[in-house]
Amino acid sequence: MTTGAWLCLFAPLGGALLIALGGTRIPRSAAGWISTASVFVAFAGAVWSFFGLRSHGSQHGVVSTAWSWLEAGTFKAGLSVLVDPLSTMMMLIVSGVGGLIVLYSIGYMHGDPEERRYFAYMSFFVFSMLMLVEGGNLLLLLVGWGLVGLSSYLLIGFWHEKPSAVAAAKKAFVMNAFGDATMALALFVLIAHSGSLEYAASFATAGNMSQTTVNLVALGLLGGAAAKSAQIPLHTWLPDAMEGPTPVSALIHAATMVTAGVYLIARTHPIFEQARTIELVGAGMGALTLLVAGLIALVQTDIKRVIAYSTMSQIGYMFLGAGVGGYANGMFHLLTHAFFKALLFMGAGLVIHALAGEQDIRKMRGIGKLMPWTRWMFLAASLALVGIFPFAGFFSKDPIISSTLNLGWYGYVFWVAALAGTFLTGLYTFRLFFIVFPGEPSAFVREHFGSHHAGNGDGRQRHGEGPWTMLLPVAVLAVLSVVGGWIQFEPYWHPVTNWLAPAARTLGVAVPSSTQEWVSTGLALGLGLAGIGVAYAIYGAGRLVVPTVPVVQRALEHKLYFDEAYDAVFYRPAAALATWLRREIEEPVILPAGPDLGATALEAGGVVRRLQTGMLRTYVFFLGTGMVVVAFVFLVVR
Amino acid sequence: MTVSSFTTLLVCLPIGAALAVWILPLSRFATGSLAVLVSLLEVGIWIEQAARFDFNRPGLQFAQQTPWIKDLHVSYHVGEYGFSLWLVGLTVVCMAAAIGYGFWVGRDRARAYFGLMLFLTGATVGVFVAQDLLLFYAFFEAMLIPLYVLVGVWGGAGRLGATVKFLIYTMAGSLLMLAALIVYGLKVGTFDLVAGPTSASRWIFLGFMFAFVIKSPLFPFHGWLPDTYREAPPEVTAVLSGVIAKAGTYGMLRIALTKFPEPASYYRTSILALGAAALVYGSLLAFRAKDFRGVVAYSSLAQSGLITIGLFSGTNLGYDGAVLQMVAHGLVSTALFLIAGAVERRTTTGEFALLGGMARGRPALATLLMTVGIISLAVPGSAAFAGEFLILAGAYQRAWWWAAIGAGAIVLAAMYMLRLISAVLHQARGSTVHDEALDLRPGELALLVPLVGLLLVLSAWPAGVSHHSFAGDNPTQAVQGQFK
Repeated sequence: MTTGAWLCLFAPLGGALLIALGGTRIPRSAAGWISTASVFVAFAGAVWSFFGLRSHGSQHGVVSTAWSWLEAGTFKAGLSVLVDPLSTMMMLIVSGVGGLIVLYSIGYMHGDPEERRYFAYMSFFVFSMLMLVEGGNLLLLLVGWGLVGLSSYLLIGFWHEKPSAVAAAKKAFVMNAFGDATMALALFVLIAHSGSLEYAASFATAGNMSQTTVNLVALGLLGGAAAKSAQIPLHTWLPDAMEGPTPVSALIHAATMVTAGVYLIARTHPIFEQARTIELVGAGMGALTLLVAGLIALVQTDIKRVIAYSTMSQIGYMFLGAGVGGYANGMFHLLTHAFFKALLFMGAGLVIHALAGEQDIRKMRGIGKLMPWTRWMFLAASLALVGIFPFAGFFSKDPIISSTLNLGWYGYVFWVAALAGTFLTGLYTFRLFFIVFPGEPSAFVREHFGSHHAGNGDGRQRHGEGPWTMLLPVAVLAVLSVVGGWIQFEPYWHPVTNWLAPAARTLGVAVPSSTQEWVSTGLALGLGLAGIGVAYAIYGAGRLVVPTVPVVQRALEHKLYFDEAYDAVFYRPAAALATWLRREIEEPVILPAGPDLGATALEAGGVVRRLQTGMLRTYVFFLGTGMVVVAFVFLVVR
Repeated sequence: MTVSSFTTLLVCLPIGAALAVWILPLSRFATGSLAVLVSLLEVGIWIEQAARFDFNRPGLQFAQQTPWIKDLHVSYHVGEYGFSLWLVGLTVVCMAAAIGYGFWVGRDRARAYFGLMLFLTGATVGVFVAQDLLLFYAFFEAMLIPLYVLVGVWGGAGRLGATVKFLIYTMAGSLLMLAALIVYGLKVGTFDLVAGPTSASRWIFLGFMFAFVIKSPLFPFHGWLPDTYREAPPEVTAVLSGVIAKAGTYGMLRIALTKFPEPASYYRTSILALGAAALVYGSLLAFRAKDFRGVVAYSSLAQSGLITIGLFSGTNLGYDGAVLQMVAHGLVSTALFLIAGAVERRTTTGEFALLGGMARGRPALATLLMTVGIISLAVPGSAAFAGEFLILAGAYQRAWWWAAIGAGAIVLAAMYMLRLISAVLHQARGSTVHDEALDLRPGELALLVPLVGLLLVLSAWPAGVSHHSFAGDNPTQAVQGQFK
């Protein structure tokens, strides 16, 4: 069982190293296959662990340590993997969906002159993400946390000749470094209190700390979770991250990495439960994000940015679910979201690929006629996203909504926000769908459809909607977006919740009564359909005209001015301070200080001008004499 | 030859080779080959020594003692503790890379140059193994003399000004240290570091510390650093920042903290503040530096601050982390300055405004700079991360704000290092970057790949250094017990 987990962890690293060290000895087209194979081997390892754990007597988890990674004093953290229900579930998602997306990349990146580098990065990302979810202690979790940030940086900036891509990559890294730093601070507190970062020891310590301390620890962890999962106010990097290749957006910025915050809350829930206020702050953050991101998604015109805001919004649901104590609800939504959101991105990728890299939805009108397959798959993903029965999102989103009802007044606030969110989801998702797919192909589409992708250097004409390497993963995910949710239907059967119970048991307060469940489900479904209806009326049939409030419109188009605010509050002051230090301290004071001090010392000594020969040896001579005097003073005075 | 004489061998072999190079009329090629060979031999001897080192045994190992000036109780006394072993290893590896680089670029006046580099190797090893204060001082000075010449003769256009500044600063530090150690020696009746007792004299402590904070350096004693690092030949800068600067922090650990526990604790907060100032100030200036070497130079200032914080936190994690960070940063800094040299050779400049787009068509350069840069910004999982994590975890146990300042500086490190990477490698091609500018050549790869490989090995097992620097699980106790 742990062998499977080690295989799962290191197969993608092996793939990355093979491609990196092989260099030009590996044909460009083979790199993609090596990477795909390495991730599917990881999937096999994940399956092995999963069944191993199922047949294992205790499901509380098994730790296997390879060697002691970091030791100092009595502190010790091993390079170890933890196989428990939570980690196996994540392993399956990461390597399974990851394998499909890497396979899809083979078609998408075909002909890019730097395919090898791309696939080495992709494999490295999967390794990092598996390190995050399998790591047997909090330090390894932080290591994975940092490494996924690194691979995200590398892949967002993959086309590094584009200044916008480089800027977006740096922004993503720095915001995530901020999250890493708050997490590291939380870990320092735990080390100071328990001398260890093993999960069990840390959780035990959390119970013995003062309320303030444990709140600070939870806050530090939440900071990391919010930065990684693009929750307000640490979300501004995610929309910009769409500069990366589309499969990257599907893998990192939809299916796996950005949902790591939810995993973190579930994994460290004993700490959050000791700091219930902070846990609810996390839930509130999720509620706020799901609304704000939904609103911003309404006015975006870049196909990938619409989906990116939708991702933020859906992770908001997961934070809400996990934050109120329904860890399994959050994790289940993470699972189905991985299917349908990856599918949405890959569908968008097919369209972008077919239109030579164009991402503006206003130019794509009518593409559905030329890409019927893509249209159906996109529709399936959209319905799953809105949560329409019997698509996957229906089964995973509704339990989150109903689980907020037992918390008192703020529970109702969460509930209303979550329901409003379903309306918004219907609206922005089908705004996108109705703008892009139906109708007669626009002139732009007719002109560009089927022309070479920007990176397609070999000029080979493609046929149909894409090569099979792209269509097959899309088809698999389309099926999963339909049936993937059926494994759990809260009122009747809940294998996911049961499976996760040993690792992260749902709090009693997050279990709704069946009336609450049915009411929430009914309302959510109705509001989702209403959102779709309004979207149809406005964008599909053109019967409704969007009421425009210029101020609101502008605010949303500027993404509520978060970027501008951060620029004014953090970046500019820091840059100005640095410049000021250089101009006013470093250059006029520090740099000339040495020679000046030598000179002034001489002047003050009264021997003055004629000794300022400018010759090194005189200066040194006097410095030396001075030191001897000092030594004498020491001896006599002390 | 007994096992103990390994230490002496490590000191004397390169110095002897230096004398040979100066005296014998060898050709340029023969001189360079001999120097490279000797530097590799040093690495070999060190590996043999590390393999024989007993990390569980407290006390000095590979020790040798011979009376020198009997009346003053001065002796030739050398030997190694766990942490000195790592610093000696850092020295021989980085010096080998630097000498190899000098050979690769074909420095003129080869006999003088390689002689000085070899002499520098021996003297620096001497600093890390000397167990007698006068001997320590002698090596400390012997280490500086070749540096003045190397910067002043083989440096860039502004080398003379840089040398003068460097000389004035280090002389001031050294002479104060000399005064302090004479007073200490005469007061306690011996100059031996192992046998000598602790002292409570704050003045003597400050005398030593003054020399060490100039050497490391710390804010605001770093006035010599930007010019020297910019004007020196790249391989000399690499050694200065990777190895020589560590003599300062090593001195803090071996002398200031060990022999002056009371003053160290009295001035602890001030020195921690000095370290934090260097960390933040260095990071901010690195973010605004206009060229490759400027960024790495100020980041070295920041790292010295961090290492000082680790040492003066006076906690187990701080001590272990500081030693690990000295080694990790030494390797990172050496590799970065050598890469800076490679970039300058291809474009004639290190200025960001004139660089850019070097990744296209130069995969080896891009991969190595990216790897080292990312390790240097302490991405979790890297050796530098392990060091910083331990240091700040230790600092947190002293007071939470040191850790908070350090964590903030980590974010700044990401900002300045990514700025460097993208300014050199990414975006549009700079005006000095021509298509003919080659990727790294086999000779350069032979120097850089081992350094990066060592960093990756250290990243896979940072405990190899952090848990093998002080015998036992309690470095604080080891320092208090003067490593006996």
